[in-house]
Amino acid sequence: MKFSRIIALLCVVAMMASLVACSGTTEAPATVAESQAPANTVPESNGTADTPNAAAPGAAIRLVNGKIEIDTQLKAFAEDYKARTGQEVIIESLGGGVDISAQITNYHASGNMPDMFVINSNEEEKFRELFADLSNEPWVAETDAYLADANGKVIGAPYAVEGVGLIYNADVLAKAGIDPDTLININAQHAAFEKIDGLKAELGLQAVAAVAAESGQMYWSTGSHIMSAYFSMGVERDDKTLINDFNAGIVNPERFAQFAEYVKLLFDYADPSVLISGTYDDQLALFAQGKTAFLTQGNWIDPSLPGYNATFDCGLLPYAFLETDTPGITADAPTWWAVYNGGNVEASKAFLTDITISDAGQKMFVEDAGAISAYKTCKYQPSTPVSANMFKKMQSGPTYAWDWSNMAVGIAQNTLAPLFELYAKGTIDKTQFVDMTVTAVADFIAAQ
Amino acid sequence: MGAKGLLIILAILAVATLVYFLAPKGKKRDGVVQALFLAPMVVTFAITVGIPLVVGVFYSLTDWNGLSFKNFVGLGNYIKIFSQNDYVYSLLITMGFTVVNVIAVNVLAFLLALLGASDVRFSKFFRAAYFVPNLIGGIVLGYVWQFIFNKIFTLAFPVSMLTDPNLAIGAIIIVSVWQYSGYIMMIYITGLQSVPKDVLEASGIDGASGLRTLFSIKMPMIANTFTVCLFLTLVNSFKQFDLNFALTAGAPARILAGKAIQSTEFLALNIYNTAIAKSNYALGQSKAVVFFVILAAVSLTQVYFSKKTEVEM
Repeated sequence: MKFSRIIALLCVVAMMASLVACSGTTEAPATVAESQAPANTVPESNGTADTPNAAAPGAAIRLVNGKIEIDTQLKAFAEDYKARTGQEVIIESLGGGVDISAQITNYHASGNMPDMFVINSNEEEKFRELFADLSNEPWVAETDAYLADANGKVIGAPYAVEGVGLIYNADVLAKAGIDPDTLININAQHAAFEKIDGLKAELGLQAVAAVAAESGQMYWSTGSHIMSAYFSMGVERDDKTLINDFNAGIVNPERFAQFAEYVKLLFDYADPSVLISGTYDDQLALFAQGKTAFLTQGNWIDPSLPGYNATFDCGLLPYAFLETDTPGITADAPTWWAVYNGGNVEASKAFLTDITISDAGQKMFVEDAGAISAYKTCKYQPSTPVSANMFKKMQSGPTYAWDWSNMAVGIAQNTLAPLFELYAKGTIDKTQFVDMTVTAVADFIAAQ
Repeated sequence: MGAKGLLIILAILAVATLVYFLAPKGKKRDGVVQALFLAPMVVTFAITVGIPLVVGVFYSLTDWNGLSFKNFVGLGNYIKIFSQNDYVYSLLITMGFTVVNVIAVNVLAFLLALLGASDVRFSKFFRAAYFVPNLIGGIVLGYVWQFIFNKIFTLAFPVSMLTDPNLAIGAIIIVSVWQYSGYIMMIYITGLQSVPKDVLEASGIDGASGLRTLFSIKMPMIANTFTVCLFLTLVNSFKQFDLNFALTAGAPARILAGKAIQSTEFLALNIYNTAIAKSNYALGQSKAVVFFVILAAVSLTQVYFSKKTEVEM
């Protein structure tokens, strides 16, 4: 009886010990003899297993990239970088609806933080304790678009500049006899919409504009991108009054009413079905197939245009909702790459310097990935239609900041987008749209 | 894990062995052996269910942001969520959806099962055909049906169901019933086939009509199947997420008490949006705890009452 009990005990111990041994990384397979005397056997401990992220010099570094569209180009660059320097870089691209910030949070919780990761400007506070100081990096002097925290410490490197606004079909405008360079105030744009609306049949158009205001899946287009105009149109880049007020719960009712007037204009001349139920693909397809003259998106549509055999030329206009001229476009770095201070900081810094300001890096971003460089020294110019037009305007005129990306996290989705949708459907009128937005923003901030 | 984990486990084993040999023969020794044999179950349960639950409740009492927390806020999060219009609204529509969905799925599934379990020609084919929607993931279904509602139904009806706040919930119910009743049908068919043939024969000899057999023999005999099916549909309706996320993502908007809110944001989606989109992890966690309590209470009540009606075999 006693003997069988000991056998049973030993069996359990052996089983558990071998399980544990299997989970180790370097231990040889446990032998039965070892496992039978558990109290006396302490296998060699595996030092590295207890200190994650403390990678040895020369170990591969990992970058979490938030633009799935440039995944191939980044990976090719990483391979080239390895050939040049011997440093291996693993590119991990997230996209297609993945919430990057949530994913980084998960990586942190599971002790699997990458060495470099993509970051939005309104998440700086949350991740503040994780950033390495990049203030003394050589690329900082070559760009205005770096990300700094509240104390002025540089924490993020920009990799591209993007622009939002009213994209136009240059061929349609030419046929209608409209000079796009004049469409820089609300009255000019209104007149253009009206004129094109009258020529729809002649120009082969289904509607004047492709706008999508459904609040579930298109919230970012209205609640963030169109909303951008309220903060930035006609405002100096370093004037942050509107966005700071907004994040304190205050919307300027006069300016917002003027903005609402313009939004109404966009909605009135939009294709009605895409407006209330269209997805991004529906909206893009309508424009890319030449069925509308305008589209409310940004220069990221460029890589998708060839897929629709779009042969016409395009350009980018501001959401010019003011009566005064606002010739600039709204352009900024959309997100930044930060370095995790618990990772391989030196190797990451070296890689960031190379990819941002080396000739190979800038060539990759502009020529292979179709982006607009955020660096002054870059000698490459974009060749795709919207980006090329945008680049030209950035060289010659003022630009407005992307202050909308500093809006309180989540406000676009659950608070602003439903209002835009109700406005688009005509459920609420302009006065209600303004009043309800003013109240909703105040309530959202108060509930924080 | 690694060396530290190994040491801890070895230490526990060493203590257990020591206790075993030092303890006097009898009950204590048996206790040690029992504890050792129970350990794998207890440890797995603790790691996968127990600890996450406790940690989850703990986080709901703090200002956790997904990375770290600074303060304890007590029941502050719980007070906050019930003062939020959109959360209470989500709670109510989720309950409404659950009631309608449970009834619709079970009625339809039971009718299909009666057909599928009978000798109708091609019944095996229909069984498989009705089951297929369940094999497709909710996200894919959501996008496919979004296309159907927006592009195909609009050919016959002027507006898409997905653009009207009341009809959009109806649209989710339609897809959910379509997706889920085939699965529940299979369970009902298994139940119906388990009804003993001799009982059915006896009722036939006694001259019971088809309907009488159904209500007095078949349905009471498969009461336990009803318990299972009601439980499954209840829990699944309440937890509805993927279809909701892909089909409407909360849209369209509606006005409630002067505020614009998402009209089809069910509870699970509301929790997801609170934690992920608004990056408010602690608040999302509190909502998840409330979600868990409601779900546990409702489903336990349902099983309790359903069990009462089951026939002892």
